[in-house]
Amino acid sequence: MLTKRQNLLETIRGGNPDRFVNQYEFMNLIMEVPMGVEFNYGKIWKDQWGITWNWPEGQLGMFPVHDAEHTVIKDITEWKKYLTIPVVPTSDEAWGPAIAHANSVDRREEYVTGLKIPGIFEMTHHLMGVENALMALYEEPEAMREFIDALTQYELEWAKVMIEKIHPDCLFHHDDWGSQKSTFISPEMFEEFLLPAYKKIYGYYKANGVELIVHHSDSYAASLVPFMIDMGIDIWQGVMTTNNTPELIKQYGGRISFMGQLDSGPIDFPGWTPELVAREVEKVCKECGKLYFIPNLTQGLNFSSFPGVYDAVSKEVDKISKEIF
Amino acid sequence: MAKIDEVKAMVEAGKTKLVPGLVQEALDEGSAAKDILQGMVDSMSVVGDKFSTGEIFVPEMLMAAKAMAKGVDVLKPLMAGDSSNSLGTCIIGTVAGDLHDIGKNLVSMMIESAGFTMVDLGVDVPADRWIEAIKENQNVTLVACSGLLTTTMPALKEAVQTIKGSGLPGFKVIVGGAPVTQEFATEIGADGFAPDAGSAAVKAVELVKN
Repeated sequence: MLTKRQNLLETIRGGNPDRFVNQYEFMNLIMEVPMGVEFNYGKIWKDQWGITWNWPEGQLGMFPVHDAEHTVIKDITEWKKYLTIPVVPTSDEAWGPAIAHANSVDRREEYVTGLKIPGIFEMTHHLMGVENALMALYEEPEAMREFIDALTQYELEWAKVMIEKIHPDCLFHHDDWGSQKSTFISPEMFEEFLLPAYKKIYGYYKANGVELIVHHSDSYAASLVPFMIDMGIDIWQGVMTTNNTPELIKQYGGRISFMGQLDSGPIDFPGWTPELVAREVEKVCKECGKLYFIPNLTQGLNFSSFPGVYDAVSKEVDKISKEIF
Repeated sequence: MAKIDEVKAMVEAGKTKLVPGLVQEALDEGSAAKDILQGMVDSMSVVGDKFSTGEIFVPEMLMAAKAMAKGVDVLKPLMAGDSSNSLGTCIIGTVAGDLHDIGKNLVSMMIESAGFTMVDLGVDVPADRWIEAIKENQNVTLVACSGLLTTTMPALKEAVQTIKGSGLPGFKVIVGGAPVTQEFATEIGADGFAPDAGSAAVKAVELVKN
């Protein structure tokens, strides 16, 4: 039997996997990396960038607050005045738990996976508000380019320190680029503003020992796949059914792999049942096939919003593997 | 090209800096304010269609709406008290337990562009607040409820049924959001449903005119 890591490589390289890669199993996520991201259920707080977050009780996630008082960058032409870029922590104290976790991983079995959450596009709208961020791409393109460059420099600094500290061989990087039906911005605009930033960032990771780039965007983004390949993404995690994933696999398999296809909305909800999960897992595994595809909830981490769903999916993936392989 | 046609083209292209001047030129040429406004409404309808079909994206839609708003600012002093172009007041918000506002804001913008006066209740709007808002505002012809999460679909149902069951007359209810379908909208008693901001504006007009 292949190790998780070997099986992953067989799957994404078009070889001979002996089972489906089961969701996040190949990524040992080093959640202790000091990204400065907080998850404070039921609270309102300010993060290291000055962004105010609100996570009301009963909500599935947290929301940045963008009223006049709380929006960090109130005028993109003066972003330098409003933005204080945090310092990437380098102390042993800050990195100790992450280093200990990374050292405990059997790298023959799993990838030591560093994280960066959120990504460049999300940072623009977290700091500015989404409408302002999107309009600024038209109204103040130069200022947006400078601002994106500054965010990119921060990411490169983060990458440098994280690589030094935990020597990841995989990166899991978030940045949502679309809704379930469309990308937020046109492919042309993406190519102009975001592709150069990501080529630098992912290029740096690849040049410094990171073998695998996994990018999370639980959305439609089929029109961006050529750019994903260009910037060095190996696996697009979060691919939704709206992308016509079987067709993407046919078209791009071998250059990029697709992880997801189990849309959270209709599967990961309070009324879920094991039968529903079984049906959906079987359907997507048969539709998408053995290569260049990893069945997975589109959720951006290795859990579900509602207890039991993630494990039920894993169980069904194992079951369908026995049938198909 | 007639000035109104230029205004229309520049609204569609999202030229926020050019539209106010062109609107003024159209007025100086003798065009009626209500005709210029109708031209911009027509442009936004084209923008909405293009968004619905994936030809344009959110930034282009935002820019077009902003361009129209700048044009409307020029017309406003001339149209004070003239309600002939208004389709009435639309109360809009995201239902209780849901803080998503991007989609709701886009829908609000597009419905406003179609000729409604908007009253935005924001997010996490409890069922009884909708009723208060309908009572507080004049000429409410449309209530637009947004729900983005599968977990807030029950709240959407509660909001629609509270609004429809209030006995208040004169308005239609439209719903939307990622998990919402026409079937669900029908099931909970909404008068209309739209899958995106572009078609929401079309549906809004259709609902209040019929």
